[in-house]
Amino acid sequence: MIATDIVGILVTTIILGSIYGLVAIGMTLIYGTLRILDMSQGSMVMVGSFIGWGILVVAGWNPILAIIAAFIATFILGALTQLVSVQPLMRRRNAIDFEMVTFITTFAVAMVLTNVALEVFGPFQRNVKSVVSGSINVYQGVDLPYQSLTMALVSIALMVGLGVFLARSRWGMAIRAVAQDLDAARLMGVPVGKLYPITMGLASALAGIAGVFLGGLYFAYPQAGDLPLLEALIVVIFGGLGSLPGTVYAAYAIGLIQATAEVIVGTTWSLPILYGVILLVLIVRPYGLLGRPSEARL
Amino acid sequence: MTAFPDMTTGRWSLAGLATVVAVAIPLVISNQYTLSVMVTTGILLVLNISWNFVLGVAGVWNFGQLALYALGGYGAGIIMLHSSVSPWLALLAGGVIAAAAAVLLAFPTLRLYGIYTSLLTFAFAEVIQYVILNDGSGLTGGSFGLPIVPGLYSSLSLEASTKAYFWTVLAVVVIATLALAAVGHSRLGIALRGIRDAPAYAAARGVNPLRYRIFAFAISGFLAGIAGALYVSYNQSISPSVMGLTPMSVYVTMLVIGGLGTATGPIVGTILVQIVATLLVTHPGAEFTILGLFLLVVVVFVPDGLVGLVGRYWSRVAAWAAEDERAESEQAAGPQAAGPKAAGPPGDRAPAEPAESEDEGSPDPHVA
Repeated sequence: MIATDIVGILVTTIILGSIYGLVAIGMTLIYGTLRILDMSQGSMVMVGSFIGWGILVVAGWNPILAIIAAFIATFILGALTQLVSVQPLMRRRNAIDFEMVTFITTFAVAMVLTNVALEVFGPFQRNVKSVVSGSINVYQGVDLPYQSLTMALVSIALMVGLGVFLARSRWGMAIRAVAQDLDAARLMGVPVGKLYPITMGLASALAGIAGVFLGGLYFAYPQAGDLPLLEALIVVIFGGLGSLPGTVYAAYAIGLIQATAEVIVGTTWSLPILYGVILLVLIVRPYGLLGRPSEARL
Repeated sequence: MTAFPDMTTGRWSLAGLATVVAVAIPLVISNQYTLSVMVTTGILLVLNISWNFVLGVAGVWNFGQLALYALGGYGAGIIMLHSSVSPWLALLAGGVIAAAAAVLLAFPTLRLYGIYTSLLTFAFAEVIQYVILNDGSGLTGGSFGLPIVPGLYSSLSLEASTKAYFWTVLAVVVIATLALAAVGHSRLGIALRGIRDAPAYAAARGVNPLRYRIFAFAISGFLAGIAGALYVSYNQSISPSVMGLTPMSVYVTMLVIGGLGTATGPIVGTILVQIVATLLVTHPGAEFTILGLFLLVVVVFVPDGLVGLVGRYWSRVAAWAAEDERAESEQAAGPQAAGPKAAGPPGDRAPAEPAESEDEGSPDPHVA
């Protein structure tokens, strides 16, 4: 009985942590580079899940195609979001209210995307076919659906991929350079103007892929991005805004807390318990677990 | 009037005229639906005025204001339901409960700044909402909310009570606007704006951020609680749906469109957005799409809101008028003194400067 609970908690932790990590790591990447908290990331999850629905259910095509399409579409959408809602404000970058102003504009984009989806698709919840079906019995009483397993594996692969991209590739190094010192990066010839939309597109694309999987786990509907956004917010605060390793640790820590809370006190109280934990973390460590007041991020 | 340095006789008479027109509205309009929309708008005005104080004047990104609003509403509603004290006392109690919660909320935010403050306060709001939703004792009624609350005017007929609520809410709006404008120009307001614009400098000059922030939260929380109590009283019910992302996005839109940190901004923004929302009430999707686009355009192109925009053009016109007068009177004295530089500050300001909070864009003698 207790062993079943523990295995169940661990399995849920890995699944939840991976998917939280995928959405939250994009927000961290954006915060580290542009110093903005992108509230439109939840909508990207929603767009991803609708693309998953369109390709898997309506068109009946291959899941890999759905993932690629979601990646491309949300990349473009994220880059456009940056150009529309953040780029015009970049000249006010040093003003003290820059973070809040961009918070509001990206929030406005999220509002528009959600309600355009509401207008186009209606408020209905649409069943997205699982990317893969079936499940495996991990332990007595603990079933692991292949969908969740694939989701966790793809998320981990994408997170590792992002890490390699940032560490090795030209563009990745440019992103890190901008995060560390904007002026120095500009002097070294980094095309900062192009880099910002690319960073936000990349982060949005990760959220879009998460959306394809989450759509299969839950549904595709206009507000499908709200809950992932709130959970990703918890993760990024917990890990410290702008710290990539912190975000990954925090994603699994939050997954563990939530999985444990679900087993012990039930699903309804798991989110308030998470928020309670966040309140405590912020009171004790105002910049999150691995966050630093400024500089030296990513 | 030293409490209102921005107010000229002309502005006072304009404000007085607007108030008189507002007082006369229920005597002219008899349509119940229109009146009830106006009462709801008035209650939102009280909430937005309270929020504007902590968000705009104090510069603390408190996204837990709706939790304070709900706490005031639930507090007042439960007292009205379960005790026989005067509903007016229950109204006050709603304000006091929210103020107490606001002070509690102020402490953890003191160590945080900017975005972290908004996340912490938002987390606070989420916890409050979940507690209200999942309350096991049956006090809050879960997602259905409180059952029929008697309210302030339970003895009056529907029509008479709507009028009574209209005047009550209007009185609260007027008092709140005047009181918060006076506070904004008092030592407290100057200290708050100092902490907002230059925290280190203000602290070095002996302004205690802790004390002033707690004051700001308490004042703003009290008013938000009163707004919630008015809400529960007028609607005879309150449910957790008053909180959450959707209503919050609408109220933020109202504040930002009107002009954060100004005295008239929340009034202009709330009424404008409420008109748009009422016109689009049959297209829920379109309503928020338009509001979102509106918000985006205003933040990007008019960072200080509509009130700031009007104020900037107003001061530019005033500067031109002054320049003309100057030029005419100085033409006799000598041509070289009447250059454009001598005609006072230009209306535009440097783009890198943070948004100013002064009413109508006129410089505040205290802050300078």
